[in-house]
Amino acid sequence: MISGPALVLGDDVNTDELHPSRFYSLDDATVRAGFLGAVGPEKRGIRTPSLASPRGSAAEEVPVGPVVVAGANFGVGSSRETGARVFLLAGVRAIVARSFARIFFRNASNLGIPVFVCPELVAPAPGDVVLVDLERGEVRCGGRTFPIAPPDAYWAAVCAAGGLARYLGLEPVAAGDRAAS
Amino acid sequence: MSTLTARLLARAPAPADGLPKMPPDSAYRWVEPHLVLGHEATIALLIERLRRAGKRIRYPERCFFAADHFTPPATAERAGILKKYLEFVEDEGVPQRHLFQGISHQLMVEDARCLPGAVIVGADSHTTMAGALGAFAAGFGSTDILAVLATGAVAIRVPEAIRVRWTGALHRACSGKDLALDLMRRFGEGGAAYRALEFVDSTDSRICMADRLTVCNLAVDAGAKNGVVIPDEVTLDWLRARDGHAPALDGLGPGDDADYADTLDLDVTSLEPLVARPGSPADVIPAREASQEKLHQVFIGSCAGGRFEDLRDAAEVLRGHRVRPTLRLVVTPASQAVYRRAVREGVVEVLIEAGAMVTASACGACGGIDKGLLADGEVCISTSNRNFRGRMGSTEARIYLASARTAAASALAGRVVDPREFTP
Ligand code: SF4
Repeated sequence: MISGPALVLGDDVNTDELHPSRFYSLDDATVRAGFLGAVGPEKRGIRTPSLASPRGSAAEEVPVGPVVVAGANFGVGSSRETGARVFLLAGVRAIVARSFARIFFRNASNLGIPVFVCPELVAPAPGDVVLVDLERGEVRCGGRTFPIAPPDAYWAAVCAAGGLARYLGLEPVAAGDRAAS
Repeated sequence: MSTLTARLLARAPAPADGLPKMPPDSAYRWVEPHLVLGHEATIALLIERLRRAGKRIRYPERCFFAADHFTPPATAERAGILKKYLEFVEDEGVPQRHLFQGISHQLMVEDARCLPGAVIVGADSHTTMAGALGAFAAGFGSTDILAVLATGAVAIRVPEAIRVRWTGALHRACSGKDLALDLMRRFGEGGAAYRALEFVDSTDSRICMADRLTVCNLAVDAGAKNGVVIPDEVTLDWLRARDGHAPALDGLGPGDDADYADTLDLDVTSLEPLVARPGSPADVIPAREASQEKLHQVFIGSCAGGRFEDLRDAAEVLRGHRVRPTLRLVVTPASQAVYRRAVREGVVEVLIEAGAMVTASACGACGGIDKGLLADGEVCISTSNRNFRGRMGSTEARIYLASARTAAASALAGRVVDPREFTP
C-alpha cells in the first residue's frame, strides 16, 4: 500500500516543464530546486500560494511524500533522466497517470519510482489522500476506485527489485529499502 | 507481425550472457544494439554509477559518443561536467573522433556505420532521427544506457506500428519540417505513443533524405518509439554519395503480411507551410494564419533544422536582404561538416550579410543551453523540434516552430509569415 497527498498535474506535462534544463546538474540540491520549475498554471492543480504565480518555484510548496496524479502522456519530451530523478529527490512516493510517455515511464521505473497506469483515472482535489493498493491492483482517491493496468512482467520484476540497476546487480539493494521491505 | 521494425529488431546481435532471464510472459526481450549514442549531458549521469558497480564499458567500440550539449561550455559547472565526461571517454577507450564535431544525431547519420538494418539506441530522445536511413533507432534514459554499457543489452518490446504513406508532390516552399508538423497536428504529442512509425515514400517528387531525417527526428515528439523510412532508391543514392557505395536492401522492408495497427495515406500535394504555436509542437496551424506578434529572435539550428539544406533554404530567402537591427538571427550548423559545406558553398556569407550570428555547431539555443536564450515576453521562431514552455530560457517567452524557409522569411518580415506570400 502506498499513500500520500495528491499532487495533481494535467495532460501532456513535458519534461521541460517538470524540470527545466537549467536545473540539469550533477548536484542533487540544484536538481531538486528545479522540481516542477516550469509547469504552467493550466497544467497544475496544486493549491499552494506560490504556484498560483506561473513563475513560482514549486520546490518548497510540494506536500510531504506526495503521490503525483497526472493525466495522459505524462513526462513527454526529453530523455534527461534528471527529469525523473527529481521525483525521487522531491520525496514523491508514486506517480499515477492515465498514460506515460515511453521514455519517462522507463526512466522512472528504472530509478525505482513506482509508476502506475490508470487509464480511467479522474483527478481528486489537490492534497486529497491517494491510496495505491498493490494487492488489489487499484487506486483509490476522491471517493472513487480506479483499476491499475497490469504492467508487463519485465517491469513488474524491475519494480520489485527497486529499479533496473538493482535488477541487474549493478547497485546493491539498500537495507530498509522499499524493495527490501 | 514482420513490420520493418520487427525485422530490424530481429537482426540485432544475440544478447550477452550474464543477464537475468526475461520473465516468460513478458513481451520484452534483451536486444544488443550495434551502436550506442551518447553525449556529455546524459552520459555524465551514469559515470559514477558505472564506477561504483565496478564495471567498465563492455563494448567500447560500439559507443558513438559526441560532445554537443555543453560545447563549448558556458558555465564553470558545465565545463566540469564536460571534463568528467571527456576523462571517462579517455579511460574507457571509447572512440573519440565524434567529439566536438557537432550534434550527436547529425554525426550519427554522417557516419558510415549508420546503415539500413542497424539497431541504434541512444541516451537522447531524438535518436529516432537515424531511422530515416532504414535503421531501428530509439532513445532511452541514462539508467537504460548504463545497463547497455555494462552488459551490452537493453530490454525492448517490438512495438506495434503505424504505416504512413506519402503520395503526390511536395510544394517547393515546403520541406521535411512541414511534413513533420503535419504529422504532429494529426497525432498530437502522444498519438503515436509506444508505437513505431513506418514511412513509405510513394510521392512523385520523392522526399529527400534531409526531409526524411527531420520527420524521423520529430517522430518521438508524436510519442513514437522509433520512426523508420522504408529504404528505397533515395536512400541508396544518398548512401552512395556518403560512402561511395550502397548496401543491398534484402529483407530490409516490411513483409507482405505486415500487420499494421493503423495506416495513414497522405497526399502531400496540398501541404502548405506550417508553424507550431508556442507551448506544443502539436499545436499546428498554417503559417499564413499565425498571429502578427513581433519576433525578437529567429533560430535556425538543432538536430531537427540545422542541416545544410536548412541553411541553404534560409540563404535563398535572405540573399540580398537584411533583418532589422534589433532582431537576433542565430544560425547554428548541426555539425562541423555542415558548417564547412555551408562556408564552401557561400551560404554562410549570405547569412552573415543578412545579419546572422553563426555559432559553433552544437545544441546551443535549442535546449535552452546557451547562445540564443529568450527573455520574458520575447517571441522566437525556431527550426528546432520543441517549443515547450521554458524550453529556450524564460518560461514567459513564446516559441514558434517552423521550417528554415518559413523562419527566414519571418526574420525579414519581423513576424511569422508564409514564405510563399512574403516578398521582402
Ligand atoms: S539540438 Fe536540441 S533536440 Fe537536438 S539533441 Fe541538441 S538539445 Fe536535443
